[in-house]
Amino acid sequence: MSKFLSKFFAIREIPVAIALVIVLGVTAFANPAIVSRSGALDIFLGVSVVAFLAVGQTLVIAMKHVDLSVGSTIGFSAWLIGKSTADGHSLIYTMMMVLFLGLVVGALNGYLVAYLELPSLVVTLATMYIVRGVFSQISSGRTIIASEVPKPISFIGLNSFYVVPYMFIVVVVLVFAVGNIMHRLRPARDLYAIGSNLPAANLAGIPVAKRVFSAFLANGLLASFGGIILLSRFNAADTNSGTGLELNVIAACVVGGVAIAGGVGTVYGALIGAVLLQSITMALGALGVGQFWQLAVNGLLLILAISLDRYLTLRVKPSTIMRVKN
Amino acid sequence: MVSTLLSVENAAKNFGGVKALVKADLTLYTHEIHALLGENGAGKSTLLKTLAGVHVLDAGAITLNGKPFEQGSTRLAREQGIAVIYQEPNLFPDLTLAENVFAGRQPVKNGSVDWKSMQDQSRALFTQLGVSLNPLSRARGLSIADQQIVEIAKAISTNANVIVMDEPTAALSSKEVARLFAVARNLKENGCAVVFVSHRLDEVFALCDRITIMRDGSTVSTSLTSAIDEPQVIRSMVGRDVSELFPKLEAEIGEVVLDVQDLSRDGQFGDISFSVRAGEIVALAGLVGSGRSEVARAIFGVDRYDSGTITINGQRLHAGSPSAAMDAGIALVPEDRRQQGLFMPTSIAKNAAITMLSTLRKGFILRSSAERKIAEEWTKILQTKYASIDDPVERLSGGNQQKVVLAKWLATNPRLLIVDEPTRGIDVGTKSEVHKLLSQKAQEGLAVLMISSELPEVLGMADRVLVMREGHIVRELSRHEATSENVIAAATGAVTI
Repeated sequence: MSKFLSKFFAIREIPVAIALVIVLGVTAFANPAIVSRSGALDIFLGVSVVAFLAVGQTLVIAMKHVDLSVGSTIGFSAWLIGKSTADGHSLIYTMMMVLFLGLVVGALNGYLVAYLELPSLVVTLATMYIVRGVFSQISSGRTIIASEVPKPISFIGLNSFYVVPYMFIVVVVLVFAVGNIMHRLRPARDLYAIGSNLPAANLAGIPVAKRVFSAFLANGLLASFGGIILLSRFNAADTNSGTGLELNVIAACVVGGVAIAGGVGTVYGALIGAVLLQSITMALGALGVGQFWQLAVNGLLLILAISLDRYLTLRVKPSTIMRVKN
Repeated sequence: MVSTLLSVENAAKNFGGVKALVKADLTLYTHEIHALLGENGAGKSTLLKTLAGVHVLDAGAITLNGKPFEQGSTRLAREQGIAVIYQEPNLFPDLTLAENVFAGRQPVKNGSVDWKSMQDQSRALFTQLGVSLNPLSRARGLSIADQQIVEIAKAISTNANVIVMDEPTAALSSKEVARLFAVARNLKENGCAVVFVSHRLDEVFALCDRITIMRDGSTVSTSLTSAIDEPQVIRSMVGRDVSELFPKLEAEIGEVVLDVQDLSRDGQFGDISFSVRAGEIVALAGLVGSGRSEVARAIFGVDRYDSGTITINGQRLHAGSPSAAMDAGIALVPEDRRQQGLFMPTSIAKNAAITMLSTLRKGFILRSSAERKIAEEWTKILQTKYASIDDPVERLSGGNQQKVVLAKWLATNPRLLIVDEPTRGIDVGTKSEVHKLLSQKAQEGLAVLMISSELPEVLGMADRVLVMREGHIVRELSRHEATSENVIAAATGAVTI
């Protein structure tokens, strides 16, 4: 039994899931009003965009890289979808165009990081500004209003299956699809190897540059596709759409056990992390704690998450390097 | 049926201006364990890394199984049947052992990774190697011996027939060494060629069928183990006469400056006792990893120690404090000047004067004119060549960088100077200047503790040689007793000649 328990707790996602249950339990006890249809809807709607982006970000963080450009890409994509369909283009044509945007941003990030070996933090910070700049220039203050949002897209945000919005179902389907790929496909396993020990990955004959490039490309594509989710969530889009999202996404990943040091973590964990952060925000709100304190608590949670990770890593003592004669 | 498996002929390889391989040859047969020996820098690592697919030769031919060996890709090297197990195993700490064994080539069923088969195969490999490792546990925290077993399992699973082990026993206990030997013999039985690199001659003679010796990038000899003995091996490895390259000046030996008693640190060194007198140069010799630098770091207070005492001029030294060590008059020139000795992008003046900051400041203000003055003074004494004293240190040659490190410590007017590999990567001319300087300083009454892997330097400079092996001082030799054969024999644990 204890063996089962220790195995159970060795799964990285378990502590976060337990924390989530505790948060929800305490909140429900303190303020029963939150246990309602609208409370549940709020959490699911609030978490969808971050959880969607966390899926692609997990691929990148597993390799010990980071992608800050996703907030700009998803915002630009959301706006483009509204603008293009408002201009009379079909949704299919529009999505092709939007995915091309994601492809370009992802390929640029991937090329600079994988082949020119530039640090991903700086590269994606730069593309974050570039995409946002181009977006601002092209949109020139033009706001997409609710009536311009394509019907299927507003539908998935406004309707739900019992308490689960269709939008969130899309996110969950994506999480399970990518989660499965990460578990089953060789190239996806390589991402963990790259993040865990880069020189060893090279020696093992893993095509590192190709993998890094592909992961950034995939993340760019996912971020642009996520434009649907963002547009659906707010039923509107403007020049500021998606600003600052990238940091929430990284926070969700880290809290969910996708270590920034690379090599570990799953998209399931990232999803749980996103839900936990969102739940805490909602819970504190329901308990009457102000918005700014909610941010501070999220910050504390991040520090707690990385400290716990560090502690668990250190607990495994590295073996003695040298033999000393008896 | 024994046949030729691999042959390397006339291999040559340069890195910049450094000739790593000049004319290296190596022939491996099936069913053999082949020792590759040579001093540090003899070219073994370059040759092995070429076989591993890391380097590409400038000249020479490699034939494997009768076909030319395709160089320059670790994946291709593996596919052609060569597996290299490095001294420091290269595992993925976050992945399971099964994933480590099959990294980059996991078994696939219906397009997805077959975890079950991967775990079963890993378990079978571990059993075959006589260990009970759980394929599902992660590699983090595994002992070096077990990490090597995982590497060997990896090698066997690729069906490699040339298996190279680079100093595999350096970190193993005698029980683990016996287990490794059994594995190596098993591989030999199955028709593999095992290349065994080790500094421990007793192990080489116990295990290997043939011995190839390298020196200065070339192969000196290949012979049957039965046709050669330890003294012959050592002579072939050293090969050159220790010339009087370094002007060692006679110095008057004075009072004891440094006295170390029973110094121990768990897992690194134990029962270290010695003293260094004023005017004396004491060399700490031994193989890389024998604990020499660790002792130096403990004396200087960078690392802590578990027990023992360090006394400077009769005063007990406070443990674990470099500033206390500096106040007591100790200076340490570290092994790796780029990482530990210098601030590379900072100016020569600032680097040379950094140890003197407390005397150069006026209140809280650092007088940069004084900084430049003291730097100019010392770099002149050391004949350091630079364009401007405000140039960043990284623009200097290795030899001149080392002079700046020496300048910064000599400026503190120390009583004890500890130098760790003082002339590594420095050209011959500058080397000789550094030696002359150390010798002069000793003559002026400085006590010098010198760590060096270069035998000619040890034999040329030291008044006394302390030889370390596996964390202990195993032999003390006077200047007259110290010969290359004696030092190597003590450092490697070979029989005394």
